[in-house]
Amino acid sequence: MSDATLAIEPSGPKPKPIFSRRNIIVYGSLIVICLYYLVPLYVMVVTSLKGMPEIRLGNIFSPPLEITFQPWVKAWAEACTGLNCDGLSRGFWNSVRILIPSVIVSIIIASVNGYALANWRFKGANIFFTILIFGSFIPYQVMLYPIVIILREIGLYGSLTGLVIVHTIFGMPILTLLFRNYFTSVPEELFKAARIDGAGFWGIYFRIMLPMSLPIFVVAMILQVTGIWNDFLFGVVYTKPDTYPMTVQLNNIVNSVQGVKEYNVNMAATIITGLVPLTVYFISGKLFVRGIAAGAVKG
Amino acid sequence: MAESANAGMAGAAATLGGRNGNEGLFLTSLFTALAVWLGLALGLSGLLGGLGDYAPWATILLPWIPLAVAAYAAFNMVRTHPGSVNFTGNRLRGYAIGWLVIAAVLLVIAVAGQPLKPVMDLLGKSGQIIVDFCADYGYFLAACCVLIAVGLLATGARDEASEAPGRVERTFVQKLTAKVSAIPMALVAIGVFTGGTIWTVIFSFTNSKLLPTTKWVGLDQYVRLWGEARWIISIKNLAIYGVCSLVLSLVIGFILAALLDQKIRFENTFRTILLYPFALSFIVTGLVWQWVLNPDFGVQQVVRSLGWTDFVFDPLYNQDIVIFGILIAGLWQGTGFIMCLMLAGLRGIDEDIWKAARVDGIPMWRTYLFVVLPMMRPVLITTLVIIASGIVRLYDLVVAQTSGGPGIASEVPAKYVYDKMFLGQNLAQGFAASTMMLLSVFIVLVPWAYLEFGGGKKNNE
Amino acid sequence: MQHSVSIKDLTLSFGNLTVLDSLNLDVSQGEFIVLLGPSGCGKSTLLNCIAGLLDVTGGQIFISGKNVTWTEPKDRGIGMVFQSYALYPQMTVERNLSFGLRVAGLPKAEIEQRVKRASEVLQIEPLLNRKPAALSGGQRQRVAIGRALVRDVDVFLFDEPLSNLDAKLRSELRVEIKRLHQRLKNTMIYVTHDQIEALTLADRVAIMKGGIIQQLDAPHTIYHKPVNLFVAGFMGSPSMNFISGKLARTDGGRFTADGVDWGLKGYEFGTTSGGEQGAVLGIRPEHFGVNGASESMPIQFEGEIEVVEPMGSDTVGWTSVGGSQIKFRVDSETALHVGDRVKLGFDPQRASVFDEQSGDRL
Repeated sequence: MSDATLAIEPSGPKPKPIFSRRNIIVYGSLIVICLYYLVPLYVMVVTSLKGMPEIRLGNIFSPPLEITFQPWVKAWAEACTGLNCDGLSRGFWNSVRILIPSVIVSIIIASVNGYALANWRFKGANIFFTILIFGSFIPYQVMLYPIVIILREIGLYGSLTGLVIVHTIFGMPILTLLFRNYFTSVPEELFKAARIDGAGFWGIYFRIMLPMSLPIFVVAMILQVTGIWNDFLFGVVYTKPDTYPMTVQLNNIVNSVQGVKEYNVNMAATIITGLVPLTVYFISGKLFVRGIAAGAVKG
Repeated sequence: MAESANAGMAGAAATLGGRNGNEGLFLTSLFTALAVWLGLALGLSGLLGGLGDYAPWATILLPWIPLAVAAYAAFNMVRTHPGSVNFTGNRLRGYAIGWLVIAAVLLVIAVAGQPLKPVMDLLGKSGQIIVDFCADYGYFLAACCVLIAVGLLATGARDEASEAPGRVERTFVQKLTAKVSAIPMALVAIGVFTGGTIWTVIFSFTNSKLLPTTKWVGLDQYVRLWGEARWIISIKNLAIYGVCSLVLSLVIGFILAALLDQKIRFENTFRTILLYPFALSFIVTGLVWQWVLNPDFGVQQVVRSLGWTDFVFDPLYNQDIVIFGILIAGLWQGTGFIMCLMLAGLRGIDEDIWKAARVDGIPMWRTYLFVVLPMMRPVLITTLVIIASGIVRLYDLVVAQTSGGPGIASEVPAKYVYDKMFLGQNLAQGFAASTMMLLSVFIVLVPWAYLEFGGGKKNNE
Repeated sequence: MQHSVSIKDLTLSFGNLTVLDSLNLDVSQGEFIVLLGPSGCGKSTLLNCIAGLLDVTGGQIFISGKNVTWTEPKDRGIGMVFQSYALYPQMTVERNLSFGLRVAGLPKAEIEQRVKRASEVLQIEPLLNRKPAALSGGQRQRVAIGRALVRDVDVFLFDEPLSNLDAKLRSELRVEIKRLHQRLKNTMIYVTHDQIEALTLADRVAIMKGGIIQQLDAPHTIYHKPVNLFVAGFMGSPSMNFISGKLARTDGGRFTADGVDWGLKGYEFGTTSGGEQGAVLGIRPEHFGVNGASESMPIQFEGEIEVVEPMGSDTVGWTSVGGSQIKFRVDSETALHVGDRVKLGFDPQRASVFDEQSGDRL
């Protein structure tokens, strides 16, 4: 009983026995759950390091008897999608070429939007913003085809530029919300002081707001890098086989019906694809959490 | 009598912000013209394009009507302030010249688009786009710019003698930067989100196959949709997945958050592990779990090799339970995120609540369930909306994990839409299906919006 | 004489909500005006309008004789100091001070010279290379004042500049602002909700409520001759005692309430209407003569002490008269005991009488 009542104490140091019943329950269950969460990652890595014969014999959880990097090489440079047999590398570079301009353009536009919304309130702005936020909940499927028409009209359908525009459009609601909330939290008096000092719209943006909001730019970048890298739907709709991003190509490699299934190559390809967002995730740590929470919780 | 009328006029003028009638009319009609033009040029031109041969004319002519009204108002403004003809002495001539220059450039490109071609070709593809754009809209935009210049000159002349010098610069010119900067947002909000959605809904009543057509067929597409086994299965799957995912995500997410909230050590490590799947794409998630659940090599095989040779666990190959196989992967990917949201909610709760509960001798689990959970209502609602909007979008995971199989047992609406639109050459079916998806989202969204924004204007600024 | 700041019929409304209503205010050159009022009275809004940070709905603002109603803030010839200091966090103190001058494109030497002068005046030279985060609250506010100073302007606007500081720093900086004003002789408009600041700093105080200036007068007048019940109740701590009753204009005025009948001979009525009317008599707690001191007062009464509040420098006692609870102030040496009888007296000359209906001074 006393353990239970102590357990609700959310803060403050308190001498507790390390092996109390409460601790065993809490840590025990957390460790078991974490193991469950880690199993797929482990299986992926282990499988990708085995040769096919070993996979056919053993079970997926056993560590590789003989470590081989051949599947990785094959996944990167030789795996086939349809007639192309140059591996995932093509998709990787496509994704990079999509990612960089998309992230830059979408963040620039959204940060200016958020700044204008937060500090330069004018009639009508909030209507657009409300539509934008509602729009972010609308299933993308409803807007897929109209955008195909627009892109076709301006001659960008199927090109990487077209996909960049699409990512900018669909990144806009969440990023604008993120920046608007951030700039709203900046004391309004700072903005007023800058106006008295004579800075205009761009002056305040570049000289006052931008330098003090680097963290939120990093958050936005994390959000966009993982989001755009992981995108599948827009990639498959708005690009052609030549310009397929990595996720689409990965799916085509793994789920192709032709040939013998090479599970080790598939898993290597899967890891390679997941590597970019995973790296971002492990490096950014708390900022990632802050980013997704900021994107999710409205202000 | 005359006095009271004057007072009334003054009151009206005051409510207009001191603007006289012509100015108000000028600004309103000018903005209307631009808005109509934008709407037509971007989102709705496709729609009108489908309405028949008159459509191009309508697209071109409609914006000119409000523009003519604006011209009339501008003419009146010039007449009442003759000083505006005096160009050199006008306070706002700099701005006016700027607008006139823009008008001139637009006109030159519009008129001399073809002779200019070599120059424009230097810009590559975008040069061609500019030429086409100006050929279509150059005259209209040039007229707008000229009118703005005239309006500026008129107000410049008026302001010189008026009681509020500088008003135009401040309200119109200087805030214009902010407004111009918001154009991309306006375009996306109106052109894509609103226009696109309306377009899809309207064309779901047509007989579009490979390309959109305007052969209206009423509700035929919807009748066909609900008669198709694949769609029914998709809806069933989504319902099962949705309910299970909603409930389990919330329960698991909350339990995990509560566990992490115990002031434990290594909290960051635990959270990092629980959240990492969220950084992975649905494609990667689906492929991993496809492998783990593979009956020949995965969990089933491992358990069998331990001695239980009759053990059966092959959700991805069993039509009846395939959707639960997808659910396992979906939960693995998403619960960490829900946990984070919940944890943020828990941390946001006043710590005194815990102290009060302890003083009252309420056991921990009861405090969580009956005190803390109700206090987290805003977080719960947000979480609910996020989960729900994610569920409707369920697509990549299915594509990667099962491709809708075995057979059509794990189809979902989003996949149905894609397949009909881009593989099945049956656009209207896709439009109808996506409209149904939209409808279902509205059913979730409207009550939420009502809860969030409906109770007064507390969220408005 | 030309007014430094002149506000004519200023109206500001957001939709249906009128924040400022046909407000007029003239500030002389070199005058220190304090806008005082409870939160939400429109005092900060008025200041923002003067600064040009809010678009007015109607009326005009003149600064140094120029109509600046629609001029950009930077062109108005004003400097402003904010409650939260509003220092640019990523810039050093020196950059903070010079930001406005750099935006305006002033020559480097000029900027340097102005920054130097301002930092000398405010004694912040050693801080010039620090960032705001490395400064204490008092230092930050000095820098904020410096930022207004370098602009070399005619009018200084202060928006509750001391409210974020602790009590000790507040009184220190208060004196410093007063010194600054005496030295620079600029026009200053100062918004606060702290009446001590208002009384100590101002040449004239404008008491605001509901977007309307209730009274604009020298601090002494405001304190001793409040124009209405609101001003009377707002100024002074502990606040003025109010006794409701009836006023008859006979014999220099007679005030009757539950059990009291006082002749107000000596009170200077500002209005002349006759007849009996509902009235409120206001007496400041420190204007009572207590026990021995009461005997020289024209009006005397007795009461039982109900509560005693020792305040350190003085003591406040509570009793009842005329159906109202009243408080009186004595120095801390005088011993008061609950339950004792106390003799009180006051001079109608120093009291205030208000119309019960309108609340205006009679």
